[in-house]
Amino acid sequence: MKSKHLSFLFLVCSAAIASGCTSLGVKPWQRDVLAREEMQLGADPVDAAIDDHMYFSKEASSGGRSFAGGGCGCN
Amino acid sequence: MQLKPKAPRPTPANARRRLIAASCALLGAAARSQQANVAPADSGLLEDWSVDSALAYYHEDGRILAIEPVVNLAKVFADGQSLNFNGTFDSLSGSSPNGALTSHTAQTFASPSGKAKHAYTTAPGQLPVDPNYQDTRIAVGGNWTLPFTRVDQLSVGAKVSDEHDFFSVTVNASIAHDFNEKNTTLSFGISNEFDSLSPIGGAPVPGSDYALSQKNAGKTKDGVGALIGVTQVMTRNWLTEFNVSVDRFKGYLNDPYKITSIIDSAGNTTGYEFESRPDQRTRKSAYWENRVGWNQQLSTALSLRYMTDDWGVRSDTAQLHLRWTLSNRDRYIEPTLRWYRQTAADFYTPFILSATVPTTGFESSDSRLGAFHALTYGLKYAQKLPGLGSRAESEFSVRAEYYQQTFNERIATPAALQGLDLYPGLKAILVQVGWRF
Repeated sequence: MKSKHLSFLFLVCSAAIASGCTSLGVKPWQRDVLAREEMQLGADPVDAAIDDHMYFSKEASSGGRSFAGGGCGCN
Repeated sequence: MQLKPKAPRPTPANARRRLIAASCALLGAAARSQQANVAPADSGLLEDWSVDSALAYYHEDGRILAIEPVVNLAKVFADGQSLNFNGTFDSLSGSSPNGALTSHTAQTFASPSGKAKHAYTTAPGQLPVDPNYQDTRIAVGGNWTLPFTRVDQLSVGAKVSDEHDFFSVTVNASIAHDFNEKNTTLSFGISNEFDSLSPIGGAPVPGSDYALSQKNAGKTKDGVGALIGVTQVMTRNWLTEFNVSVDRFKGYLNDPYKITSIIDSAGNTTGYEFESRPDQRTRKSAYWENRVGWNQQLSTALSLRYMTDDWGVRSDTAQLHLRWTLSNRDRYIEPTLRWYRQTAADFYTPFILSATVPTTGFESSDSRLGAFHALTYGLKYAQKLPGLGSRAESEFSVRAEYYQQTFNERIATPAALQGLDLYPGLKAILVQVGWRF
C-alpha cells in the first residue's frame, strides 16, 4: 500500500514538474545565485559522507539523496 | 569632407543584440577562465585536482569512539568529463551493546571469539556492552562522469570497503538528461552491492541458543537498488530535487554480535539467543531537497525523506542547513538541525518471554530496529584562506554535532524489571576539521 502511495506521489510530482517546467526556470544569465557554491546539490560531499555513515550505523534508514547501501558492516 | 557615420539610434532591438553580445562575451570569458583552471600537463601532483579532506572524531557516551579521516579528490576536464576518488579510514574502539537486557543481577558473557580472556561481566543495572569492541575500516571509491551529448551524461562508479570481518563491493551507474534550457534534469541510476561477512568466531545460526554457540563459516548478502530523480530550477534563487528510490537486500542480514535475553514471568534472565532477522529486506524512499538563496548572506538547504520497508520500519527525516555568509564571502557559519523518527521493525523486541512462542520466528533486540526519535544539532564555521600554488583559494572548516536518540515505544515489562533503564538511548558528539583546496 505504501509503495502505491510512493509511486503516486512520484507520478504527481513528476507530472507537476513536467507540466510546469516550461514556465519554470531561468535564463542562462540569471544563474548568478544558483552558481554559488552553497546552492549546489551535494555541496559538501565529505560532510555528507561522514553524517551518512553515522546515521547508517545508528538508524534503520539510509539513502534517499543517493543509493542506500552503506558498504559497512556496522549495520 | 568625410562625415563620421552616425551612430545607430538605440532601439529595443539594438539593445537586445548588445545585451546578447555582452552575454556571449561574458560567457566566453568564463569559459576561457574555466579552461585556464585546467592546469597544463606538467603541473605538480594534484595541482589540477580539487581536494576536500576532513578528520572526524565521533564519540558515543560510554560506548564507541571513532576516528575517521576522509579525502575526496575531484577533477573536471576541459571536455566536461569529471573524475572523483574518495578514501575513508575508520578506527573504532570502545564498548558496543550486545543486545542483552539490563538486569538486577550481574551477567557474564562470552566474547564472540570464544576466548576466555575476552569474557566480560556486566554489573547489575548496567547495559550489557562488549568492552572489547575494536575495528578498522578502509574504503575507497571512484566515480567517472562522461557527457555524451550536450544534454546527456553517464556516470559510473565503484566502491570497495574492507574490515577484518566484512568486505563490500558496490558498483553503480546512472544517466541524466537535461532539458528546458538545463533548468530540468531527469536522472536514473542503479546500484549493486556484494557483501561478504566473516564474523569473529563465525556467523551464528539465527535464533539459536547463545549457550550452544552454533556458528557457521562466512556468510554473504547482496543488494540491488534503483533511483529516479528530478532536479528543477524553480526560480533565480530556488533549486529543488525530488528522488524516489528502492533497494532490496538478500542474504544474511543479522548482526552476528547481537543476542536477545530470554526472561521468565518474574523478570529473571534465563538465557539468551542469537537474533534472527528475515533474510531479505526491501526499502522504498522518497526524498525532497530544496536549496534557496534568500539574499547575499543567507541560504538554506531543507531536505525531507520518507522511508518504508517490509520489516515494518517507517521513518521520517527533516534536515535544515542554514548558511550565513559573512564579510566578503570569505567565511560562513552554518547551523544544522536534523529531526528523525522511526517505527519499530515488526520483529523488534527488547526481550523474549520464555512462555511466549514467537509467531514469526524472527526476533531482534537491536535498538536500531526499535521505535525512537533522534535530534541532531550542528554548527559549522568555515574560513576562506589564500590558495596553494595556482589555486585561487582554500577553505578551512570546523564542525561539531550533537546527536541524541530517545526511545518512544516501551513494552510492558514484568514487575521485577521495574526501575531498570531498559531503553537508555544514545548520545554522541561529532567534531570535524576540514580543509578544502
